[in-house]
Amino acid sequence: MWRDLLGSREIAWRLMVRDISAKYRQSLLGIAWAFLPSIVMAVGFTLANNARVINIGFTGLPYPAYVMFSTALWQTFVEALNGPVQAVTMAKPMLARVNFPREALILSKMGEVFFNFAIKLILIVALFIWFRIPVGWTVILTPVSLIHLVLLGTLIGLLLAPLGVLYQDVSKGLSMLTGFWLFLTPVVYPVPKGGTFSFLVQLNPVTPLLVTTRELATTGIVSEPMGFWVVSAVSWLGILLTWIIFRLAMPFVVERVSS
Amino acid sequence: MTNLIKQETSVWNKDSELLIEVDQVSKKFCRDLKQSLFYGVQDIATELIGGNRNGANLRKKEFWALKDISFQLRRGQALGLVGSNGAGKSTLLRIISGLIKPDTGRVEVRGRIAPLIALGAGFNPILTGRENIYANMSILGLSKQEIEERFPDVIDFSEIGDAIDAPVQTYSSGMAARLGFACAVHIEPDVLLIDEVLSVGDIKFKMKCHHRLALLREKGTAFILVSHNQYNILNVCETSLYLAKGQLILSGETETIIRKYEEDLCLQGTETALGRITLPPKPKSESLGLDILSVCFQDQEGNLLPKVITGKPAYLSVKCQAYKHIKNINLGFLLSTTSEGESRILTITSASENQDLEIFPGIVEIQMQMSSCGLIPGVYSANIYLKEGVRTFDKIESFRFTVKSEQNTSRCLFYQPHTWKVINH
Repeated sequence: MWRDLLGSREIAWRLMVRDISAKYRQSLLGIAWAFLPSIVMAVGFTLANNARVINIGFTGLPYPAYVMFSTALWQTFVEALNGPVQAVTMAKPMLARVNFPREALILSKMGEVFFNFAIKLILIVALFIWFRIPVGWTVILTPVSLIHLVLLGTLIGLLLAPLGVLYQDVSKGLSMLTGFWLFLTPVVYPVPKGGTFSFLVQLNPVTPLLVTTRELATTGIVSEPMGFWVVSAVSWLGILLTWIIFRLAMPFVVERVSS
Repeated sequence: MTNLIKQETSVWNKDSELLIEVDQVSKKFCRDLKQSLFYGVQDIATELIGGNRNGANLRKKEFWALKDISFQLRRGQALGLVGSNGAGKSTLLRIISGLIKPDTGRVEVRGRIAPLIALGAGFNPILTGRENIYANMSILGLSKQEIEERFPDVIDFSEIGDAIDAPVQTYSSGMAARLGFACAVHIEPDVLLIDEVLSVGDIKFKMKCHHRLALLREKGTAFILVSHNQYNILNVCETSLYLAKGQLILSGETETIIRKYEEDLCLQGTETALGRITLPPKPKSESLGLDILSVCFQDQEGNLLPKVITGKPAYLSVKCQAYKHIKNINLGFLLSTTSEGESRILTITSASENQDLEIFPGIVEIQMQMSSCGLIPGVYSANIYLKEGVRTFDKIESFRFTVKSEQNTSRCLFYQPHTWKVINH
């Protein structure tokens, strides 16, 4: 198992280079696509907030920056979530013909997620400079929580990937789910206090990871260390488990797609 | 070339290293898509909880795509797989390459396998040929360094030239296939699985492919070859398996296998090849002056020949009803094979041979006498017409007949009538 992972590094790298360069070569706006969703979302919510259409509490950061930064993080999570299903579905013909370590597909997608985040980072840095947001020393810890965030997304995606190849329902359901999930995650609003809604947001495993990443980058005070560690531990354990499931399930999937 | 390869590979004899061992392998498939997907989920679930999949029993709507197949492949050996479409050849290759798990039985593989089932796997149409070579070869299991070593050879072999830096979507299908083939054969695997890919590209490239395969064999690469072209298999493989509907019918020396396979192919057509066509007489108003009544083959004594035998005399007999005097009738006999596509193999017309065949009113029989039939066994289809100049009297689109043989004619394209003699001086 570990040997396969090691062996798939190179293939994963090749696939990643292939996918990324193909993506940008067939696009006019190119890397702008990494920023645009965050900017559009921020503009929309800032307008709504200023017009008092929605009422959002105190966010600690200037609101546009808050939305943009959070959206960038949320997008990274969603990419990690959709990555495995997408990768495996796209690679169907390849899976049906060549026996290569299937981990490579997942690794390559994770790599792509981090690459996209690196581009988003340009926006985030620009944002911090523009709004003169103070940055604490804890900013060097953000990669840890970011990795956990990506891991959580990949874990769920990986679990769904074999099923996603068999049934189209999975990818359709996933895009619907992420739309709903966004509202349960403190992306455009701060963490709510009290009430059923707050309870739901607290239950959401993305909340502690996303909030911690945001806090580490800005204030440096982690509001919910317990939640963060619990979700992180679950993510690490879960990814191991889903990896095994993925490995066991893939031969059956391959047999069905090509028969 | 064939003989050359054989001599050189005879070094790799029966005792050489065992590369592939297939033992009692079976695989079942389901024809219904929904059901098939559901079974997939079911299989995954039982596999995860460690249950018994009960692989030996068929579930509803399932059938055996492969049943109890066993064979071995040693270093330097070449094995041919023959069988009609849907016989399970590709499924067997996919099981060997590890893509799918057999439901029962066991497959053991030692060494690197390159599946030539997968020409251009992982090619992205937007990227250039160069980038795609890297992606493709790394999927096939090569490290970056190994790819770089082989890179010039691959480009050289594919004969793509300057187009290597153009996106693959601008390639012609032949170019893409050539690039794919070039990648695959440069992996230098221990076992090469080839599924119907030798029909890629033009004649020159095909020759090059065959040459390359011969070279790999000299180095000890083993082959499993699937082809519908018997000559490909005869040229490359010394042993073969004959599959039909997932069952292993016969295994052994390629020549025997191919003969059996060809015989079975012929048998499928014999119901319609009765050896005689009889047409109902036309009313005189529709007649153009000469009508074909029946067509058949006869022996020298005039008895009906249900099957023509290679090397033996056969007289084509065309019986007609003539209503007028025709000075010079032209009988055309255009022969095609039916077992392998449509291809004209013989054209005989009496006019081109300056034969003066004169017809008088009444019932006449025109014979085309072959003192020795030169056709090899198979089912043939003849188009027969009766003309005078450009005017057609009557014709038969397809007269199907079977040719049998009493001796071995595999590896022959036709039978050469001959006699033997020793002259002592």
